[in-house]
Amino acid sequence: MGFRTKQIHAGVTPDPLTGSILTPIYQTTTYVQDSVDEYLAKGFSYSRSGNPTVTALELKMTDLEDAVDSVCFGTGMAAVQSVMLAFLNAGDHAVISDVAYGGTYRLCTKILARFGVEFTFVDGSNLDEVAAAVRDNTKLFLTETPANPTMKCTDIAGVSKIAQKAGAVHAVDNTFLTPYYQRPLELDADMSIYSTTKYMDGHNATVGGAVVCATQEQADEVRFIQGSTGSIMSPQVAWLTLQGCKTMSLRLDAQSANAMAIAEYLEGHPKVEQVCYPGLKSFAQHELATQQATGFGAMLWFEVKGGLVAGKKLMDNIEVFSLAENLGSVESLITHPVTMTHAAVEEAERIRVGIIDGLVRVSVGLEDVEDLIEALGQALEQV
Amino acid sequence: MSHFNHFDTLSLHAGQTVDDEFGARATPIYQTSSYVFPDTDTASSIFNLERGGHAYSRITNPTVAVLEQRIAALEGGSAAVCTSSGMAATFCAITAILGQGDHIVASSQMYGGNISLMKNTLPRFGITATFVDPTDTEAFRAAIQENTRLIYGELIGNPGLDILDLEAIAAIAKENHLPFMVDATFNTPYLCKCFDHGVNITIHSVTKWMGGHGTAIGGVIVDGGNFDWGATDKYPTITEPYAPFSGLNIWEEFGPSAFATRIRAEAMRDIGPSMSPMNAFLLLQGLETLSLRMDKHLSNTKELLEFLGSHDQVSWVSHPDLPDHSSHTLAKKYLPKGAGSIVSFGVKGGRDAGKAFIENVSLASHLANVGDAKTLIIHPATTTHSRIDAEALVAAGITEDMIRLSVGLEDVRDIKVDFENGFRAAKKLAGA
Repeated sequence: MGFRTKQIHAGVTPDPLTGSILTPIYQTTTYVQDSVDEYLAKGFSYSRSGNPTVTALELKMTDLEDAVDSVCFGTGMAAVQSVMLAFLNAGDHAVISDVAYGGTYRLCTKILARFGVEFTFVDGSNLDEVAAAVRDNTKLFLTETPANPTMKCTDIAGVSKIAQKAGAVHAVDNTFLTPYYQRPLELDADMSIYSTTKYMDGHNATVGGAVVCATQEQADEVRFIQGSTGSIMSPQVAWLTLQGCKTMSLRLDAQSANAMAIAEYLEGHPKVEQVCYPGLKSFAQHELATQQATGFGAMLWFEVKGGLVAGKKLMDNIEVFSLAENLGSVESLITHPVTMTHAAVEEAERIRVGIIDGLVRVSVGLEDVEDLIEALGQALEQV
Repeated sequence: MSHFNHFDTLSLHAGQTVDDEFGARATPIYQTSSYVFPDTDTASSIFNLERGGHAYSRITNPTVAVLEQRIAALEGGSAAVCTSSGMAATFCAITAILGQGDHIVASSQMYGGNISLMKNTLPRFGITATFVDPTDTEAFRAAIQENTRLIYGELIGNPGLDILDLEAIAAIAKENHLPFMVDATFNTPYLCKCFDHGVNITIHSVTKWMGGHGTAIGGVIVDGGNFDWGATDKYPTITEPYAPFSGLNIWEEFGPSAFATRIRAEAMRDIGPSMSPMNAFLLLQGLETLSLRMDKHLSNTKELLEFLGSHDQVSWVSHPDLPDHSSHTLAKKYLPKGAGSIVSFGVKGGRDAGKAFIENVSLASHLANVGDAKTLIIHPATTTHSRIDAEALVAAGITEDMIRLSVGLEDVRDIKVDFENGFRAAKKLAGA
């Protein structure tokens, strides 16, 4: 089955009782058992350990990536945290790409560090640096490609090879490109991690996450952590995400085309210092981006001439684009990572990895591209 | 389940069969437009009303169906149809059996929406109404015309809180072969099961006490299953062949639930004011605590009646549970647990004092709804009826000092403290 068929049908079968074409929202805490002997015969006992609506989304996530099993979470951060808790113990070490989302950075340095887990943050685009970070106790590699917000790309297959050699697992945060454009498990990664809040939902309606696993053993480890720590997805969120998934490829194609047009427009604008979008020939890793993914996505960043002051002025004056966190929805959003999404990252570390003061992150939406370009042009004029 | 039929048990269980597939304890939310048919014969028989089943959520939905069966069980009716609002329920119920040239005898003390429907909207389609004083039972008989097809009222009237003598009016309706339809929103089946007193159809805005939390708008029509539609030829929509369903005779096929079936087959199909499954889920959850909430509404009301009755700044208090209310005897007969949680009272000092009271309470919410878990108040003279003069107010039964109160579930001590603040402000004004 093709991706577009799967994104509509995978995981969803007509309800046997009523024929309901959509999976019902099982907004229920518990499940009545037929008898003591048949406990769990129907697969469900308590909605922390499983819910039929959430299961439908998990089956869809699994099918979309031709994986073995998936676990859905209350947030993308819950997904990341569960992967870390599943594969890291006190005394273990993890290699994390240095531009990992601000929340991931905070989770590692402020929380897991307290439990004796060690982290090395490396430039994922440099495989030598990744290999050099390996220690005897390295158990997990977590990469993010393209990275948020720098758009720096990591060679997934290359890191997978290093991880395999080190006897560690490789999890890839694939939120920016989704399985529609990039398939980490086919590049020998063990797990893909998603904030389903982004392109799976696509409408700014929910907050959720998922871990898609290549083996049942790994999925069981992740599910065990979820059962113990309770970071589950609600059935309402799963149901809305199931609906959002149906148009994921359509949205991504349209939003990516908008992003390409905007990147080209900005690149030619005299008030713009630099534009970073994997689809541009000028993008440093354009070749890698073309080689390991089938699309470039709808995220980009640019720097306005005049640094932070000019960037702030642009964001305060722009129309159509909303000044907001989140990304991947049909609404175009504009973000200032230094003060918003990546405020948790220390200044020196931030500058080192390329999150410069004037960086303006754009999540390109589904509006008419003419309107988006006009809005950017007007805002740039005021700078 | 069928032998466990006490009210509280029904409010938790009626209508729900735990699903076979997963055993989900709560009713699943079937947020779906349509249903996949196993084969064409099944599809065709569902469409023709030959068998139950779901085809399209405008007509039926499994989550809404649980709510419908639960309310029917609580009322002791044969079937129920949920609608997107209480007004949709009233409209669909009336137009299911009345057409051009037909006539309604209705109580003059009703919710403004009901009055407006019968006074302004239905006449455009040739349906007229005569409004009679609900405390004058014989007036209902006197208003019956050759073309009368329905008697309609509210058990607890609005705004005077007069109680309809259900049995006396039901007897008049029966003598004249007319169905007796009652808007039972203010009482709910917990306070009065209208069908036990000869009523044939009840209507509820389930937005109010039934749902109880102010989260979802909805309505329901409950068929009492106790009206003989075939006794006369006055109700052709029920007793004559129905063309869209190959001449189906609803009365012959569905008997006691014929009225509900007609609404399903016509109003839900052709007009479409369907309840959403999400609202049905929220309302089901509300119903689970209906009796608990009603008991608390009533005990708070009782305390507040005493508080208001002995307060210096209060000129009068009206509630059917008070011995001096003109409907007190009827209230004791039909509403033995208590006559609901709507109270009206006057603030000494008239219009401005009433206004000052409203503006200086903070716990009670100033709005036009009733039946929320939260205490609600409104000053009709400056809000809902502000555009009419003093004389017209009197005619509508509204005085300038009147406050209408929908007693909520808060700790009654806090409501009293809140009201004291209002009275203090009203007194200051009266003294000035």
